[in-house]
Amino acid sequence: MPDVVLQARGLAKAFASPAGRLPVLTDVSLEVFAGESVSIRGSSGSGKTTLLQQLGGLDQPDAGEVRILAPGAGLVAPRTSLGRGVGFVFQNYQLMPELTALENVALAARVAGASASSATEAARALLVQVGLGARLEHLPAKLSGGECQRVAIARALVNRPSVILADEPTGNLDERTGAEIMDLLLGVVADRGAALILVTHSREFAERAARRFVLSGGVLSPA
Amino acid sequence: MPWFLHLALRQLFPPGKRFPAFATVSILGVALGVASLLVVQTVMNGFGEEHRLRIRESFGDCLVTGPAPIEKPEALAKELAARPEVASASLFAEGPALARNGDFSGIAQVRGIDPTDPGQPARKYVVGGSFDDLDDGRIILGYGLARALRVRVGDRVEVWSPAMAERAEKGKAPLPAEFEVCAVVVTGFTEVDNAAALIPLRRFREIWNLGPRAHGLTLRLKEPALAAATAGRLAVGHPELRFRPWQDIKKDFLEAIRFEKTMLFFLMFIITLVASFSIGSTLFSAVIRRSREVGVLASLGAARWQVVALFGLQGLLIGALGTLLGFLLTWTILSFRDGILGAINSLFGGGDMVANVYQFSKVPLHYDASDFFIAAAFTLLTTAIAGLVPALWAAGRKPSEAMRDA
Repeated sequence: MPDVVLQARGLAKAFASPAGRLPVLTDVSLEVFAGESVSIRGSSGSGKTTLLQQLGGLDQPDAGEVRILAPGAGLVAPRTSLGRGVGFVFQNYQLMPELTALENVALAARVAGASASSATEAARALLVQVGLGARLEHLPAKLSGGECQRVAIARALVNRPSVILADEPTGNLDERTGAEIMDLLLGVVADRGAALILVTHSREFAERAARRFVLSGGVLSPA
Repeated sequence: MPWFLHLALRQLFPPGKRFPAFATVSILGVALGVASLLVVQTVMNGFGEEHRLRIRESFGDCLVTGPAPIEKPEALAKELAARPEVASASLFAEGPALARNGDFSGIAQVRGIDPTDPGQPARKYVVGGSFDDLDDGRIILGYGLARALRVRVGDRVEVWSPAMAERAEKGKAPLPAEFEVCAVVVTGFTEVDNAAALIPLRRFREIWNLGPRAHGLTLRLKEPALAAATAGRLAVGHPELRFRPWQDIKKDFLEAIRFEKTMLFFLMFIITLVASFSIGSTLFSAVIRRSREVGVLASLGAARWQVVALFGLQGLLIGALGTLLGFLLTWTILSFRDGILGAINSLFGGGDMVANVYQFSKVPLHYDASDFFIAAAFTLLTTAIAGLVPALWAAGRKPSEAMRDA
């Protein structure tokens, strides 16, 4: 049996609203194993991004806990494993506009503590793998949406995390490019032995994951 | 190079932009503030130094006087001149007199000096005639007094001393002493220029019935800056005499210059503060604009202190580069100060204030390293704070909120 790389138990999250506390997640539990792909589908406003932020440590749940496998540290709180145990791919790519493709990817490695030279080498290898070998020195403004998302995928993978959290990675792309990115994401993640948690509202892309869930009314249930 | 410094430099100077608006305007703002501060301070230092020099040249480094005329001044001068701290000692006598030229008259502060002394400071301030022509029948007048009497070099004036009044009281017919004006001096001190009249000491003694006595001595010291301590040492053994260092002679005036400089420092510093505040507000909007990037950095595992460093360093870099540019700007402005002043004078009229009011041939300046150090320290501190406040705000945000905003 593969190792558990992400474990969430009893997650709950509510936001303040003029009408009082608005529950977004209620008692969400999930276990993800090394190398597997999981999709979470849901309508807009169903709490997919909120769940991803709780899983990745970008926000604290009101109740419950999350553990992520960090290299050499076992299962730890996601905040501790940010950048190393977990990598993010965002809908809007979220690249640093002043850095080249190579520097954007290398930045993630530098933040995680790698030296400048090893970060650059790792970034270069990944960008070549995602098909951007000829675009290393391009700024994000000079790249297409698909190319930017490839850079973002390379950035998420550069520190060899155990889990990749992808939030609508094809949301800003046309159908064909979206399909290419999905192929790339699933291929590269599998190639690196990482787990993928994909949040999307696209049934087609969600179907490509090994395990599929639907988030509705704050509850996560198998699709 | 740490990644946050690399990123800070890239955010300030994005590739492909020669003059990025935010960095250029912010650095220029700081540079102008620093330059305003240092130009004013350096020119004020120059005025202060020039005035200090004039005080020393007009009154000596140390003035030796007594409650009554000094009985054996030559012997005292010889004794003091022999001291290792003293460069030279010369006698003087002074007193008020009525100066007259026909229908025009004025009160003159007549000073009897040794015309053969090559160190006589009045030599430097002669604007008409020749100091070397001074002899028993000639007089040197301050510019203001010469104007009041309507005399020029070569004209004659009468001098009535109080001793002549005594003679009149004794029933003798007093006759004024007549002199030919051989030179006119301008020292820049109105009170000196409006009353000064220099005649040889020998002649003064004669007109004032002073005999071999003198009213005091002016000492030139080898270390004028140490005049206060030297005066204290020289005074030992002469309890009847008063040794006044030059710093004491015009104490209020020097204090006023120092106070003026301090006040101008604070006024000019406000300009630097304004520049720093504008950096703070611009950096704040930049941080808000970059909220998502702050969230991304958090998702990459950046520590809070690294986010603080990223934005705080931008403020500090602006401060450091602005300060360096400010130093360069200061040097440039001061190098062309007379040309700039000439342009201002010709643009707004009013003549050459520096020459007419202060009697300086050019705008004086004196570079003081401590001014530059203080300006740099204050600027770096304020710009660092200006950068730190938004940086702390950014680092304190929840990554999820940061990514949702902007």
